[in-house]
Amino acid sequence: MHRHTRLAAIAGSAALLLGLASCAPGTGQDDRPEASGEISKDISGVGDVTLTVWDQEVRGGQNEQMEQLNAAFEEKYPNVTIDRNSQAFDDLNTTLRLALTDKDAPDVVQANNGRNTMGAFVEAGQLRPLDDYAELYGWFDRYSPSILQYSTYSDDATVFGEGNLYGLPQVGEVVGIFYSKAKLAALGLEVPADWAAFDAALAAAKAAGETPMQLGNIEQWPAGHVFGPLQGNYVEAGVITDLGLGNPGASWTTPENVAAAEALQGWVNDGFFNAGVNGTDYDAAWQALADGNGVFLIGGSWLAADLEDAMGEDVGFFVPNTDAGSPATTGGTGLPFTITSAAENTDVAAAYIDFITSDEAMEILAETGNLPVNRTAELAPASGVLADVFTQFGNVTENGSVLPYLDYATPTFGETLGQALQGLLDGQLSPTAFTEQLEADYSEFVSKNG
Amino acid sequence: MADPVTSSTGRSASRRSGRLAKPWLPWAYLAPAIVLYGLFMLFPLGRAAQYSFFEWDGLGASEFVGFDNYVALVQDEQLREAFGHALVLIFFYAVLPLCVGLVLAAILTRAQVRGLGFFRTVIFLPQVIAMVVVAVTWRQIYAPDGPLNGFLRMVGLESWTRPWLGDYTFTLPAVGLIGSWVSLGLVTVLLMAGMSRVPRELYEAARIDGAGAFREFFAITLPSVRGEITVALTLTIVAALKTFDLIYVTTSGGPGTSTTVPSYEVYRRAFQLGEVGAATAVGIALTLIVFAINFVVNQIGDKK
Amino acid sequence: MKVSGLEKGANYVVLILFAFIVLGPIGVILSLAFGPQSASVGREGRIFHWENFPDAWEIGRFGQYMTTSVTVAAIVVVVAVSASILAGYALGTMKFRFATPLFYIFLLGIMVPTEAIIVPLYFDLRTVGLTNTVWGVAFPQIAMSIAFGTYWMRTYFRTTNRAMIEAARLDGAGSFRILWQILVPIGRPAILTLVLLTFMWTWNEFLVPLVMSPNGDVRTAPLGLAFFQGQYTQGTALLAAGAVLVALPVVVLYVFLQRHFIKGMIEGAVRE
Repeated sequence: MHRHTRLAAIAGSAALLLGLASCAPGTGQDDRPEASGEISKDISGVGDVTLTVWDQEVRGGQNEQMEQLNAAFEEKYPNVTIDRNSQAFDDLNTTLRLALTDKDAPDVVQANNGRNTMGAFVEAGQLRPLDDYAELYGWFDRYSPSILQYSTYSDDATVFGEGNLYGLPQVGEVVGIFYSKAKLAALGLEVPADWAAFDAALAAAKAAGETPMQLGNIEQWPAGHVFGPLQGNYVEAGVITDLGLGNPGASWTTPENVAAAEALQGWVNDGFFNAGVNGTDYDAAWQALADGNGVFLIGGSWLAADLEDAMGEDVGFFVPNTDAGSPATTGGTGLPFTITSAAENTDVAAAYIDFITSDEAMEILAETGNLPVNRTAELAPASGVLADVFTQFGNVTENGSVLPYLDYATPTFGETLGQALQGLLDGQLSPTAFTEQLEADYSEFVSKNG
Repeated sequence: MADPVTSSTGRSASRRSGRLAKPWLPWAYLAPAIVLYGLFMLFPLGRAAQYSFFEWDGLGASEFVGFDNYVALVQDEQLREAFGHALVLIFFYAVLPLCVGLVLAAILTRAQVRGLGFFRTVIFLPQVIAMVVVAVTWRQIYAPDGPLNGFLRMVGLESWTRPWLGDYTFTLPAVGLIGSWVSLGLVTVLLMAGMSRVPRELYEAARIDGAGAFREFFAITLPSVRGEITVALTLTIVAALKTFDLIYVTTSGGPGTSTTVPSYEVYRRAFQLGEVGAATAVGIALTLIVFAINFVVNQIGDKK
Repeated sequence: MKVSGLEKGANYVVLILFAFIVLGPIGVILSLAFGPQSASVGREGRIFHWENFPDAWEIGRFGQYMTTSVTVAAIVVVVAVSASILAGYALGTMKFRFATPLFYIFLLGIMVPTEAIIVPLYFDLRTVGLTNTVWGVAFPQIAMSIAFGTYWMRTYFRTTNRAMIEAARLDGAGSFRILWQILVPIGRPAILTLVLLTFMWTWNEFLVPLVMSPNGDVRTAPLGLAFFQGQYTQGTALLAAGAVLVALPVVVLYVFLQRHFIKGMIEGAVRE
């Protein structure tokens, strides 16, 4: 009796081990979806369909436009019901990866253009190329190529900016400087025309006992939006584009980049920021500006709706010129909407994307306080900070340089940049060491990418 | 109606030999527990070990890499850092509350104060509050313009104010103190229960011998609660090593990498960076460390 | 043993100091929860902004998440406690081969960190289609609760009166009848404690629902709070109100049944 049970136990565990060893993790499938088969613009006859959409339009104006457009789409096509899942940027980053490989993956997904997200999804074959729908709906005419390049990847995602089109954005984005008009007037200053004047304004604000700039960097990514525009003043736009897209041929450890880092650290050392930037919430920072605490806030145009709500006429927005005389700042587009390869009814998904980026949709976007990526100048509001945003966006895209978000560059660059910036802001990293950390990630990726 | 199991000869026979008449009976009772526990705890544990020998991004195909992930674990500076931070958290979750709790429990057990029951209820409260709520609360308290800095300014300690969750030196201790706040109740109540079981006569005898409060504590109280101390240490050390919710909601490992912890690294690597093999290797390592520490603590506790 | 008045006074000071340290943060979150949502609301001059709670409930969709939490907790408690009672009964009253090693295997589960098993659990459950379902969220927690529950019930059953069991057996009762009609009724306090602890741990669990339901279909209350923190950008009042709502059920249970909670966690840990 003893021996048998022991043998049985050993045999059992051996079988278990063998079983474990034999089913390796992973599906082993590397299939890419083909953009083939019949496609059509007409979806009224497809019967009752539920379209699952994941978006990150959570802020005031963003949420409003999404709700309005969704309602309008459902009205136009009563047979389609939209199942909307809306999450904040950070949360979406995490959950999206997991959701895409699920049995019930969503149909339409708002994915960050960068290599960490869209690049990874394209590489894993989870997004459907949209060139055929683009031809059908005329999207290549609707958008300018410089916008579409940020949603374009090669088949295997090694090249960012060339290849197949994977998504369409609704909004444009531009990073600039929000300011309190009252405070600026109290200091007797004009809106700074270039970075040199901005530096002077900061010093003047400090001397007058104000907190010159607000920044909330506990989430690690906001500082990237401060560094990006500043870098545009020191480094050539072409170089920044290569660095930002993770394309080979550039380097972080150049004197210009070090100078940019030095400038940022200089601002900290001169006491131009609120105390404890690395411990302050992103939203607490703009709320502080709204509460009368601070003169400037370097941030993205998506904050405009909330700031206008809180500050009314008192808030303005501008982008200073670089020494070259034209503006260069981070920006481009909001997160594009993509179709997943798991989507069953791609015609409906494509019709939805076409609908929310149509010329009419652009009007609704403008009305709800967002920056539409097309028809921008046309739809600019008459006054207020949003008028400023529209003007600046137009100015930068036409007369200046739009720089890509730096975290696009590699799958890990968001983290690398976030941590390095916290170090730079805290004084832990010297400007040279800062650029070296960034260079390590960038060069490793570029060499592996081939 | 005599049950064959309990018939006269059968019963006495089985009782004498110590064997059950129906040997499958215990297993029938154990079956649900064994199935559920095996499927959802033991099997994944084995799978985790298996995954740790592969490199996989969670989306496509996997590649067998042997011990590479474990080697990387030892060599990766960031991971070593994370484990180091876990050790610091052990101090805050376990050692600090233990010291404070011992003194507190000793004072209160000796004392004849009313409201001990109420106090016990209050001090134990942090243990029942969801960690996420605790984290949200303390994130507000630690905000640069939050109540803690406000309090410091009020009592004239302006120079002590700082961004508690954004400071490279102080964020980890700040997070650790949250753990101390949560653990203190458990440890104190545990010790109080143990100390209240110490027979009065021991203290009386010591007092007759002329022992003061300190002598009493070290000679009588402390040894008597050795069991409770062991348990307190075990529970709090495991809690420290398991910290996830707290980091996720407050700092996400920042500023920089100053509050990374192993469990957050597991999550990050598996679900954000797509390094599943490396993640499970960290998880297995964490489990082994938990076992080892438990073993050591219990050995020391039983021996002396 | 006479204690001097000075010592008594000092003791009260210590008591009050620590009670304050513990209650302080709770006071902070409560005051934030009742505070104004924005500067304009603050100017209305009220002290208690009760409307924060229904507002947070609606905006943060806590109604949905709390319901999910209740469902998951109910499943876990019923299944895990039943399985633990049965298993503890066997381990605690019956002598059989492998009883001791088996017990230690269950004990192991109390020490295994969730992080170690959550990764393969996610991928394997995804393959069988259980992710984003209630069972996907419940099963791992059932297993975790069985580890402690079996230990707890075994401890209880070992202390039961053998003579009584023998007497019942003599009367012809089968093992199940003994369990159901004698031991369980007597063991109500122990079982109640197990129910409370399992409920608390399941309600407060964060990592398992976070990973097991990426699309948020089975999002529990603590998760709802974490996501609300990211989503709600206008200030802290509603976030604090949400936090209070999430913690409230367990805290209320605790206040009324704290003896069972404390007893459970303390005695369960010590009696090894």
